[in-house]
Amino acid sequence: MKFTIQRDPLIASIQDVAKAISPRTAIPILTGMKLDVRQHGVTLTGSDSDISIESFIPAEENGIVQVENIEEGSIVIQSKYFTEIVRKLPEQTVEIDVDDSLKVTIRSGKAVFNLNGQDASEYPQLPKVETDDSFSVDTTLLKHLIKQTVFAVSTMETRPILTGIKCQMANNVLNFTATDSYRLASREIPVDHTSLEFTCVVPGKSMNELHKILDDSEENVEISITKNQILFRTKHLSFLSRLLEGNYPETSRLIPDDSKTVIHAKTKQLIQTVDRASLLARTNDNSVVKLVADQDGFIEISGYSQDIGEVSEEVQVSGIDGESLNISFSSAYMLEALKAIDAEDIKIEFTGAMRPFIIRPENDQSVLQLIVPVRTF
Amino acid sequence: MTKHTTHKARVIFHIDMNCFYASVEVAHNEALKGRALAIAGNPEERKGIIVTSSYEARAKGVKTTMPLWEARKLCPELIVLRPNFDRYRQASKQLFKLLTNVTPLVEPVSIDEGYLDVTDVTADPVALAEALQKKVLHTLNLPCSIGIGPNKFLAKMASDMKKPLGITILRKRDLPVTLWPQPVNIMYGVGDKTAEKLQSIGVTTIGELAKADVYALKQVLGINGERLKNRANGIDSRMVDPDAVHDFKSIGSSQTLSHDTTDEKEIIALMTQLSENVSRRLKRKQAAGRTVQVMIRYSDRQTVTRSRKLQAYIESPNDIKHIACDLFFQHWNSEPVRLIGITMQDVSEKTAIAYQLDLFTYKKEEQKAKLQSVVTDLSKKFGPDTFKQVKESNQDNDIRTSFQKDFLDDFKHE
Repeated sequence: MKFTIQRDPLIASIQDVAKAISPRTAIPILTGMKLDVRQHGVTLTGSDSDISIESFIPAEENGIVQVENIEEGSIVIQSKYFTEIVRKLPEQTVEIDVDDSLKVTIRSGKAVFNLNGQDASEYPQLPKVETDDSFSVDTTLLKHLIKQTVFAVSTMETRPILTGIKCQMANNVLNFTATDSYRLASREIPVDHTSLEFTCVVPGKSMNELHKILDDSEENVEISITKNQILFRTKHLSFLSRLLEGNYPETSRLIPDDSKTVIHAKTKQLIQTVDRASLLARTNDNSVVKLVADQDGFIEISGYSQDIGEVSEEVQVSGIDGESLNISFSSAYMLEALKAIDAEDIKIEFTGAMRPFIIRPENDQSVLQLIVPVRTF
Repeated sequence: MTKHTTHKARVIFHIDMNCFYASVEVAHNEALKGRALAIAGNPEERKGIIVTSSYEARAKGVKTTMPLWEARKLCPELIVLRPNFDRYRQASKQLFKLLTNVTPLVEPVSIDEGYLDVTDVTADPVALAEALQKKVLHTLNLPCSIGIGPNKFLAKMASDMKKPLGITILRKRDLPVTLWPQPVNIMYGVGDKTAEKLQSIGVTTIGELAKADVYALKQVLGINGERLKNRANGIDSRMVDPDAVHDFKSIGSSQTLSHDTTDEKEIIALMTQLSENVSRRLKRKQAAGRTVQVMIRYSDRQTVTRSRKLQAYIESPNDIKHIACDLFFQHWNSEPVRLIGITMQDVSEKTAIAYQLDLFTYKKEEQKAKLQSVVTDLSKKFGPDTFKQVKESNQDNDIRTSFQKDFLDDFKHE
């Protein structure tokens, strides 16, 4: 096996694929990266058996030759060393050569590395996603879906199903929902040209990695789902993740649908106010701040920390309707929700001090951030 | 001498009741006066150990923590009573009430001792102490010793010097004669372990501690080394804090088993009981805790403590037991166990705790809160006595030899 490749596309591919490779794995060969060299291009594969990523570097793209002098073959190279070596090579061209005893030679300029490779036939077969039921989503939109929900997944293994994002397609609407049971984030988008209906739970970790490697310049992501795998595919990239088993708890009926107090505010101003109040609320784990709204429309956010001091600030709001209110919540959750909402103007709907409240962009029902308040005794 | 310091020299009393439990029993039953008397836990079991005894019994060699059978051998005429905590509590409350008549600056330390800052009381300290001692003896029928010093440490050391019914003054200038020749382990704050460590750097008397090198002390005892050296030199800046009794960071309960055991059922039964004790005391203080610590003492006296910090505050016996058992079985080496202790650490009053509600259970919590707000509203309307917190019965059905000072929380309000 032998080929000569441009260093930049190789680095880009290696970086994507390496995201799936873990130094700690039950199957030793998975600490390696697999290279499959064919006349039409080179495919890199990495996997930790939960996530598998394949990146394809075409021999020629847009009239530019990226891979040449190709002799077909496959090899597995230790990912850690391969990644670092390629990153530090001196020249733009890299020559990779594998002999019959699986010795890998990497040459660039005057630098020569000799590495021991592993037999590619020992690399586990990745599950084939055999389905015609796929649909297509705009890449930028998908990244938004992920970013606006994934931060709310649970990091505790006590309820494993909550460590994932629930992805649901019904009536041509794709919905992502995540909750750690203290806050909930949800976003939906319309999807055309499909009759698919499904519900699955994708690990939050997979979604985070997918978000990192999806390139905004790609137009669309093709998504296919089987019983226990989900595959995201762009032109040169396949991202395969295992699904979480188990039933995701029903959350829709836990979201209050009436409201007693509604506050309209500028997102940026509110973020800054909550951030300031949280400065003096850090001693407790959740950095609890208090929001008080009286009947005259005066709203104040305050933070208090035993032995340190207290802060209070009147909130500049665009409007307030309904009853007076006195509610405490985690400023950390509030800030994450406000930052994820991605809208200039928001409205917050409260139904009482002990009930979850909902933040949405003004005039947009597709995004929902819910926060469960803190009870002060 | 620095007599002209900016702050006035303080006058601190340490009042220490003499053989408190035994004295209270005598006060209740004149017939016991002058007899060898001991208070002990359950006499049928091994934990039937002497909790305290009268001076008459002590004269015969009876000592605290001695097993009953041994005490009886030394003193066959010994009268043994089970502890009657209600009685002691009552007496203690009366005592502290009496003390607050002298000055509001009273800091209860335990059921039978406390500090008074009498700096601002315009009376000769010795005459004041004598009057106080007489008053306690006549109104409560209880003997006490009083130590007088310029700070807590010296007052405490002084009250220990003459018992019963002693009044002792300990000044800084007395130290070289009174305290310094004494072994370091009689010092308040120096236990067996600390004494051992001090010995390792050649410190055996209080005088040696007073002159010891701070660096060497810090090496073996950390910051506490410097503190102890200061004490040995008669320096102690702690104020008498009437609210100190409200400050609590941990609440625990421990018990010796009637026999060393490896029986898991027995262990779990004891853990259940201990968890209930801890939970009961948390409830009494309206508090909850976030770290559970378990202590295991093996039959060879080897003691291990292990703790776990939780995400949320807990207070119910079940929650405490659950974590404690988990910890216990994770760290137990299957050797016979003599004593188990459970302690809640990171304890805060509920008013200072924020409880993160859960999306899946908030409706249940809401019900609870509704009830609470009704109670609050009605209390506002009809006064604070509309509702009474149902307290656990005050009867001590199970004989416990340890004593909690929780009840001191509210001696002032009664």
